[in-house]
Amino acid sequence: MTKSIILETRGLSKTFGGLVAVNKVDLTLEAGKITAIIGPNGAGKTTLFNLITGVYPVSSGEIFFQGALLNNVPAYKRASLGIVRTYQHIHLFGNMTVLENVMSGRHPRSSYGFFEAAFRLPKARREEEAISLNAIKYLNLVGLGTYAEHDAMSLPLGQQKLLAIARALATEPRLILLDEPGAGLNTLEKRQLSDLMRSIREMGISVVLVEHDMPLVMGIAEWVIVLDSGHKIAEGTPVQIQKNERVIAAYLGEEVE
Amino acid sequence: MLASLKRNWSYLAITGVIAFFMLIPFDWFLGQYTTLMIFIGIYTIVTVGLCLLMGYTGQVSLGQAAFFGMGAYISAILSKTYGVNPWLAMLIAAIMTGAFAYIIGYPIFRLKGNYLAMATLGLGLIMWILFTELSQFTGGPDGMSGIPSLSIGGFVFDSSFRCYFLVWLFCLVVLLISQNIVRSRTGRALRAIHGSEAASESIGINVNQFKVKILTLSAVYASLAGSLFVHYLRFVSPQPFDFLASVKLVVMAVIGGLASVWGAIFGAGATRVLSDELLLRFGQWDIVVYGLILVLVMIFMPEGLFVKLKELYERFRFRYRRREAQP
Repeated sequence: MTKSIILETRGLSKTFGGLVAVNKVDLTLEAGKITAIIGPNGAGKTTLFNLITGVYPVSSGEIFFQGALLNNVPAYKRASLGIVRTYQHIHLFGNMTVLENVMSGRHPRSSYGFFEAAFRLPKARREEEAISLNAIKYLNLVGLGTYAEHDAMSLPLGQQKLLAIARALATEPRLILLDEPGAGLNTLEKRQLSDLMRSIREMGISVVLVEHDMPLVMGIAEWVIVLDSGHKIAEGTPVQIQKNERVIAAYLGEEVE
Repeated sequence: MLASLKRNWSYLAITGVIAFFMLIPFDWFLGQYTTLMIFIGIYTIVTVGLCLLMGYTGQVSLGQAAFFGMGAYISAILSKTYGVNPWLAMLIAAIMTGAFAYIIGYPIFRLKGNYLAMATLGLGLIMWILFTELSQFTGGPDGMSGIPSLSIGGFVFDSSFRCYFLVWLFCLVVLLISQNIVRSRTGRALRAIHGSEAASESIGINVNQFKVKILTLSAVYASLAGSLFVHYLRFVSPQPFDFLASVKLVVMAVIGGLASVWGAIFGAGATRVLSDELLLRFGQWDIVVYGLILVLVMIFMPEGLFVKLKELYERFRFRYRRREAQP
C-alpha cells in the first residue's frame, strides 16, 4: 500500500522585504498522522501555517493539497477544501455564545444565503437544524456541551482553546493546523489536549501542530519537522529528532571552539 | 397551565402594541403626532440597515445619507420628470442604489476602520454635491416639488393618515426580514466578521463578499426609505441628505442599540422626538441639550436604549416573580 500524501510543499519561500521568513522548504505530510513543527522563536513556523492557509501569498515555490496546487486558492475557500487552522491568539468570536461559535464553523458545510434567511424558506430552516445538531456534536466532542449558552469569552483560557478546536472541526477538515495549542495550559489541560488530538486523528483527520512544549510534542507526534531561521534543518520520528545534533545545536547554540 | 397563561399574556402584549400603533393616527387618539411617527418609521428603515452594517458586521458608514438621498432623488426624478409610476420608480431606485452600493463596495472595503469611515464620509459628501449641483435634474438647492404620491388603483396615499400605515407596513417588513437574517447562517457570518476577520476566513467565510452584500442591503433599505420620504412629502431638496444627516443616522443606530434590530425604532424614535418636539423648548440651547443627552446615553447605556429597556424589563420580572414566590 502506498502512503497517501495530504500536503506537500516544494521550494516554498516567503520573504518580507529583506527578511526570508521561510526559505525553500520542502515538506511531505502523510495523511492521518500527527506531525509537529518545532523550532526556536522566529524559525518561520507560524509563517508556514499562514502560507498553507492562504493568509499570506506565497513568494515562491508550490503548495499541493491532496495533489492539487493550492497557491492561488483564496484563504476562505481552503476551509471547504478541507484545511482549517486555529490561532495562537485563539480569535474566538467574542460577540457570540459558545454554541454559536461552533455553528459558525458549519459555514462551509451549509449553503443558504441572504434570500433564504430573510424569508426563512424551508431550505434555511432545514439547514439551520442540521447546523445546530452538528455544532452540538462537536461541542460535546471537546467536552464543552454544558457551556453551550455561555458567552464565549466567559470561558477560561484552556476551554477557549478547546472551543477554537471545536469550531475548526465543525468545518469537517481533512487537515487541521494547530498553532501552539498547548501554550498557557496547565498539566491536566495539556493531557486533555493530547487526548483530543489523538481522537481527532482517529476521525481520520491529519493533525499538524506548532508547539514549544517538548514533552507534549514528543509524547504525541509521530513525525517531527524542525525549522530554524526559515530552513528545514531536520525531520524524523521524535526519537531521531532528540538525538539529532543540528537540532540540539539550533536549540542550545553551538559550542564555540 | 401557567405556561399557556404566559403565552396568552405575550400574545396579549403583542396585540396591544399593534393596536396602539394602529390607533395612533386617529385624531381622537394621537393624531397630532402622525407626521412625527411617519418620519420615525422612515428613519427606522434606514437605521436598521445601518445596525446590520455597523452593529452586526462592524463596518462604519458615515455616508448612509447618500443612499437615502439616491432613493429619494431617483424616485422623484423618474416619477415627476419622466412620468414613471411611483411604485416602479421606487423599485428602480432601490435596484440602482443597490447596484451602486455593490459596485463601490469592492473598492471601499479594501479599507478598514478609520479609513473606511473617511471613504464613506467622502461618498456622502460627493452625493450631496451631486444633488445640489446637477440642478437640471434635481432642481438644485431649491429642490423639486409636485412629486406624485403612491397609489393603489384609485386609492392615493396623499394624506398623513394613509401614509402612516404604508410606511409602518414597510418598516415592519424590513424589521422582520432583518431579524430573520440576523438569526441565520448569514447573520452568524456577519457577526463572525465583526468578531475576527482572520478567524472568519479560516472557517470559510468570504469576508469581503459578505461586507459588500450587507452594504448593498443597507443601501436598498435606505433607498426604499428615501422613496417613501419623497412620495409622502411630495417634495425633495438636498438638505435632508447632507453630512449632518449621515451623522444623525449613526446617532440613531447607536442610541437604539447597534447590535439590535428592534432597537432601530427606539433610536429613530428617541432622536426624532428629541429634535422635533422636546428640544424646541430650549430655543437656541437645543444643540447643547442634545449633545448632553447623547453623552449621558453613551455613559449610562453604552449598548443602547433597547438593551437597557430589556434589562429593566428582566429586572422587573425577576422582582415580580420573587414576590410571587413568597408565602
